[in-house]
Amino acid sequence: MAEDGSDFARSMSIATSGLRAQAGRMRVISENIANADSTSPTAGGNPYSRKVPTFSSALDRTLDAKVVTLGKIRTDQSAFRVKHEPSNPAADAAGNVKYPNVNPLVEMTDMREAQRSYEANLNIISATRRMIQRTLDILKA
Amino acid sequence: MAINDLPILSALRTKMQWHQERQRVLAENVSNANTPNFRPSDLVEPKFDNNGANVGGAMGSLGMMRTSATHIGVSGGGQSFRGDGGKNGFLTKPAGNAVNLEDQMLKVSANQMDYAAATSLYSRSLGLLKTAIGKR
Repeated sequence: MAEDGSDFARSMSIATSGLRAQAGRMRVISENIANADSTSPTAGGNPYSRKVPTFSSALDRTLDAKVVTLGKIRTDQSAFRVKHEPSNPAADAAGNVKYPNVNPLVEMTDMREAQRSYEANLNIISATRRMIQRTLDILKA
Repeated sequence: MAINDLPILSALRTKMQWHQERQRVLAENVSNANTPNFRPSDLVEPKFDNNGANVGGAMGSLGMMRTSATHIGVSGGGQSFRGDGGKNGFLTKPAGNAVNLEDQMLKVSANQMDYAAATSLYSRSLGLLKTAIGKR
């Protein structure tokens, strides 16, 4: 054990890294939902493509613990939705418009998962705080 | 005899340290709940013998070795310099492949309650000592 007594602080920092990662994930999800209908500014061009957050677990040397970090944000490679809308300014020569490959249902499911993980990390923080409080209560004995 | 040498207090301190370390491991598991290929880990529970000494893990301070029966014994120290081959502290072992948040939450609350129990036992023991020296 490196230093006694700093374990609770480390637990809190690890949980905070989880909070940060899940908050970043929520940001990406809200970006996807907000851009669910963003078409290309040019005729026949590609629309907004869905962004996928990635997580990786990294060893934090100052904490000596595996914290989670939000890795590179990738783009979804699946095909765009195509609608026949000749009057749309983003339509190509055949009158087809490419819409983003964002599925609101998938985004909602992801959002719930992010929310749940966020709450779990918050739960860790409050449990750790209660444990610290118990330690301080020894002084009152 | 220092207060920390009392078997019950040192056992409780070991237990509290174990809970702190376990809280860190559980925080790691929960924060990595969405990391691919992450395997959650947990700590092996500390075991105490009848005298409150920790069996298996060497958490105590390293004492002087007694090479002769006439040497004065050092309280709280181990009997050997060799220890247990670098396996001191608590063993971390993988519990599976994926993090189960419900499971982790159960562990966190159990950890917290056990810690509360250990701290109140500790303060009760301190209270007994205070009663003995007549300060209350």
